[in-house]
Amino acid sequence: MTGDIVQAAKFIGAGLAMIGAMGGGIGVGMSVQGAMEGMARNPDTYGNLLTNMILGIAFSEAIAIYCLVVSFLLLLVV
Amino acid sequence: MEKSRKWRWGVNRWWVLAFIILTVIATNRFAPVQQVIAVAPENLTKSPIITLPLVGGLYLTNTEVAMILMDLIILVIALVVKSRVKEYTLIAKGFTGALEMLIEVLYNLAQSTAGKWAKKIFPLFATILIVVLFANLLKLIPGFESIGFVEEVEHAGYTAVSLGGNWFNVTTPEVAEGGAVVVPFLRGLSTDLNFTLALALISVIMTQVIGVQAQGFGYFSKFFNVRTLFSRPIFGVMDLFTSLLEAISEFAKIISFTFRLFGNMFAGMVLMAIISVMVPVFAPSAIMLFELFIGLIQAFVFGMLTLVFMAMATQGHAEA
Amino acid sequence: MDKLGINVGNLLVQIFNFLIVLVVLRAWVYKPLLGMLEKRQKTVEKGLDDARVAAEARANAEKDAAEIMSEAQAKVAQTIREATEKAEAVTRELRATADAELSKEREAAMAEIEMERERTLAELRGQVAALSIAAAQRLIGENLDEKRQHALLDEFFSGVKDGKIVVLEGSAVNGDKAEVTSALPLTQDEQATVRNQLLSSLEENAEVVFKVNPSILGGLVVRVGDQIVDGSVAGQLQNLRQSLR
Repeated sequence: MTGDIVQAAKFIGAGLAMIGAMGGGIGVGMSVQGAMEGMARNPDTYGNLLTNMILGIAFSEAIAIYCLVVSFLLLLVV
Repeated sequence: MEKSRKWRWGVNRWWVLAFIILTVIATNRFAPVQQVIAVAPENLTKSPIITLPLVGGLYLTNTEVAMILMDLIILVIALVVKSRVKEYTLIAKGFTGALEMLIEVLYNLAQSTAGKWAKKIFPLFATILIVVLFANLLKLIPGFESIGFVEEVEHAGYTAVSLGGNWFNVTTPEVAEGGAVVVPFLRGLSTDLNFTLALALISVIMTQVIGVQAQGFGYFSKFFNVRTLFSRPIFGVMDLFTSLLEAISEFAKIISFTFRLFGNMFAGMVLMAIISVMVPVFAPSAIMLFELFIGLIQAFVFGMLTLVFMAMATQGHAEA
Repeated sequence: MDKLGINVGNLLVQIFNFLIVLVVLRAWVYKPLLGMLEKRQKTVEKGLDDARVAAEARANAEKDAAEIMSEAQAKVAQTIREATEKAEAVTRELRATADAELSKEREAAMAEIEMERERTLAELRGQVAALSIAAAQRLIGENLDEKRQHALLDEFFSGVKDGKIVVLEGSAVNGDKAEVTSALPLTQDEQATVRNQLLSSLEENAEVVFKVNPSILGGLVVRVGDQIVDGSVAGQLQNLRQSLR
């Protein structure tokens, strides 16, 4: 019985941890928005912006990935 | 314009179709099972290979086998480059030419970021990038995470069907107790926390080393700033606190490095494991391509971050 | 930690592995490749430098060539112009000389013809006079004093009698240019007489031109400005015919 509650808490916790991925998503969206606006205004900077955009996406995505890691740890390790 | 709109019957689409049909047949014949998802890499040896005094028993894990494979590949490439670089040519060509181009691009990147310290930083930066790149890409080779020992477990598992000899196919039906699971020989190197933690430690520690080389021991005043503590008491205390935060951020960097790479790669592995069970036809290919992209990006990010942190360490703390 | 799979032994293995890879790559890949890249960059830079120098040299050479070309062209054009001018001058000179000679010759010929004509007419005058006298002798049957006859004939032909122009008697003329036409050329004396006569009645320095026109038969026609004094035989015959009608 207690084991089941702990198991349920793990799942709930894992799900809650993934809420943090929202921030990562917003971050990715905003960085892409900025890059797209920049590209639309000045198409010459396409290559440069693309590289930096992908870097920025990777950084903001890392936040979401941390949430995912926490979620996995809750599910698999704890 | 008109030409691109014309429908042409290429040969590649037939290959794709044939492979899809083959996948359908194969998944019907041998139902795919979800592999064991564990954060820790599995030990391949029952008993430790060597027992070190302080550390304890050292097992051979499946990520270490992948590591040895990666080492071999890098070694071969290095040998090829070493043998070919003697014959100097003005025009880069072939395999060495491609590698040369990569090195040149990386070196230019390092030079534009780190300036005169590029020569010092470049080997570390490039090695981290190359190692992470190979580790990430090797994961995509078929056979990783799917071929291995069949291990009898006490908890839920699958049934092992004999294929003749010592070969077994672990497949459905699922059994609640005393089933068999696969302990793969090879597992993606980046899904091992030891690997990412090792790289993160090296990156952060070498950043401090380069900072000391560039600025002397004054570099550490960045982490424990007492210079303004007595001259300007209130701001001095604030400076001390911010410098302590800097010190903490160095440890945060280690964790961030570790889990960024591990999280990306492990998530990819989990995704692959789940998708290949749920939608075994065609979908894993798309995920595979996405994993390739993620692998490249993560390698680049790891390398770039190392480079940027090292360059920042050489430039020193901006004095107010 | 154990569940995460992190243990110090594997961590150390990874770290040492990384260091090995670092050393290997540094010794076998980075050093030779970077050296090679540097060498290549130097070569390329040198090549670019050489190319630049060569391009400059070429540009200079081209400029020189163009200068030489234009100079040569200018020289050639000048030479051609000079030659043309010279040729034209020579041609013009030749033509002028030829023209001058031609006109001189023509004038000379004309003068000769005129002289010849006058001489012939003068000779003719003598013969005509002799013939007339002879005819008149036969006609009249009497011998006129030969001197008188000659005076008559001279008067007939020249319209000059006793040092006076017959036709001018009783008529006044004015003008600065007089044209005297006679049937046969006048003698020098007669010409002088006519001139003196005309000059006395005309203005000073007036010009007197003598002309010969056999069609007037005899006498003189004097034309001063727009006035004509017709003292010719033909004119008198005309008058006679008018009055007889």
